[in-house]
Amino acid sequence: MTVETVESLKATFEMHQAMNVEVFYWWCTAIMFMIHAGFLAYEIGASRVKNALTSGMKNILTLSVIIPTFYFFGWWIYNAFPNGLIPIDASAALPWSLSMGPDVQDMGTGIFFAAFALFGATTGSILSGAVIERIRLSAFLILAAILGSAVWILAGAWGWHPDGWLLTELGYHDVGASGVVHAVAGFFALGVLMNLGARVGKFKDGVAMYIPPHSLPMALIGLMMIIVGFFGFLGGCIIFNGGETGWTTIYGNPTNLSAFGFNTLMGFAGGVVGAYLTSREPFWTMSGGLAGIITVAAGLDLYYPGLTFVIAASGGALMPIVGRMIEKMGVDDAVGAVAVHGFCGVYGVIMVGVFASAYPNVGDLPDITLSGQLIGAIVMALTGFIPGWGISYVLKKLNALRVPPHVEALGLDLVEIPAKPYPESLPAQAIVENTLEPGQEKQLV
Amino acid sequence: MFSSPITSWENVAAYFTFSDSPMGIAISLAAAVGIYLFLNASIMKHEKESFDKHQ
Repeated sequence: MTVETVESLKATFEMHQAMNVEVFYWWCTAIMFMIHAGFLAYEIGASRVKNALTSGMKNILTLSVIIPTFYFFGWWIYNAFPNGLIPIDASAALPWSLSMGPDVQDMGTGIFFAAFALFGATTGSILSGAVIERIRLSAFLILAAILGSAVWILAGAWGWHPDGWLLTELGYHDVGASGVVHAVAGFFALGVLMNLGARVGKFKDGVAMYIPPHSLPMALIGLMMIIVGFFGFLGGCIIFNGGETGWTTIYGNPTNLSAFGFNTLMGFAGGVVGAYLTSREPFWTMSGGLAGIITVAAGLDLYYPGLTFVIAASGGALMPIVGRMIEKMGVDDAVGAVAVHGFCGVYGVIMVGVFASAYPNVGDLPDITLSGQLIGAIVMALTGFIPGWGISYVLKKLNALRVPPHVEALGLDLVEIPAKPYPESLPAQAIVENTLEPGQEKQLV
Repeated sequence: MFSSPITSWENVAAYFTFSDSPMGIAISLAAAVGIYLFLNASIMKHEKESFDKHQ
C-alpha cells in the first residue's frame, strides 16, 4: 500500500468519523424534541379544560423563544463564563462570528449548539408546567428566555464545561445534568412560584385542595414521551470524540453508551417503583420515572446498576413527599416540577458525592468529593432560585406577572386563545351542575 | 440579491449568506432580534386588549 493510499484512507476515515459525530448529535437533538412533545401533552392534560390550549401555546412558544435567544447570547455565555462571572474571550461564539453559521470546515459548532439549545428549551418547559393556569404568557416567555438562554447555561459553564470552575476547583461531577439543568430549572421555578402565588381555589383555610387535571391519561402519555426524549438528552450529554479517544463524559473521563444504557433504564424503573410506593397515584408514579432518571443522571457513568436502582427508588419515593411538603408551605406547583426537577436534581448531585467520592478526574483535576458535590448542589440551587425569584418579583411589582382575577376565573383560553380545545364536546361541568343554557340540552341527543 | 460570498467551492470555509459582509450579518441579526422583541411586545399588547375586553 502506497503512502498516498494510506493518506487517502486516513482522510476518508476522518471525514466519516466527523460525519458520524454530526449524525449522532443530529438524532439526539431530534429525539430531544420528544421531550417537548411530551411536555406539551403533559401540561395540556394537567390543565383544566378552560386553560388547556393556553398551556399548549405556552409550551410551543417556549421552544421558539429559547432557540433564537440561545443563538443570540446563550452559546456565548457557555463559552465565556467557565471561570465564574468574569467572561473570557469567546468571540467565536458570538452570533456575528463566522463560526456561527454554515461552514464547510466546521462540523462541530452547529451540532453542539443545537443540542445545547434543546437542553435550554428543556429548562423552559420545566418552568412551564409549574406555572400553568395563572401566569401571563408574556411574563412566562421573558422568564423562559432568561432561564433557558442565560441562567442554566451559566451554571453549565461552571459545572458542565471542561474548564468550568466547579470541575477545576472541586472535581464536580454531573454527567447527565441533574444539577445544571434540573436543579437550576426546578429552583428557578420555585422562585417564580413564590411570587406568582397559587391558583384561585387551590388553598382553602390554608389547606391544599386537589385541582384535577382535565385529562390525566394525556398527562401520563406526555410523561412517557418525555422519557423517550430523555434518551436523546442523555445521549447528547456524552462527547463523541474523534481519533482514538472514543466516548468521554463532558469532563473528559472515558465512558460509553453502554454505561448510560444500564443506568438510564434502572434509574427509570427505580424511580417509578419508589414513587408508586409512597403515592399509589398515577400522576406521581409516572413522574417517578423522570425523578428516577434525574436522581441518577449525575452519576450515570459511574454507578453499579443495582445501586442505580436503589438511588433512583429513593429519589422517586421522596419526590411525592417533597411535593406534598412544598404544597403545605403554600406553594402551588401544578405539576410537581420543584419536587421532580429541583429536589431530585440536587439530591442526585449529592448522591454522587455519597457513592462515588474518590473517583479520579482526568489530568490534574481534583477527584470527586462529597464536599465538592454538596457545594455544587448549593450553587445549582441558588443559581436557579435567585434569578427566578428576583426577576419574577420585578414582574410582579410591574403587575406583569399574573393574569387578572377575572381572566383566571373565565379561563385563559377564552381570553388569550382564539380557539377551543374540544369545540364539539358537551359542557360536562354544566351537565353535572345542571346549569345548561337553553338549547344545550339538544346536544345531548 | 447577489449575497453569495463565494464564487467557487474550492477551499471554502464559512460560506453562508453575508459571511463576507459584516453589514449584512448585522442587519440580519438586528432583524432577528427585532422579531423576537416584537413578539414579546405583541403578546403584551394582545393581553392588555383581551383582558380589558373581557372585563
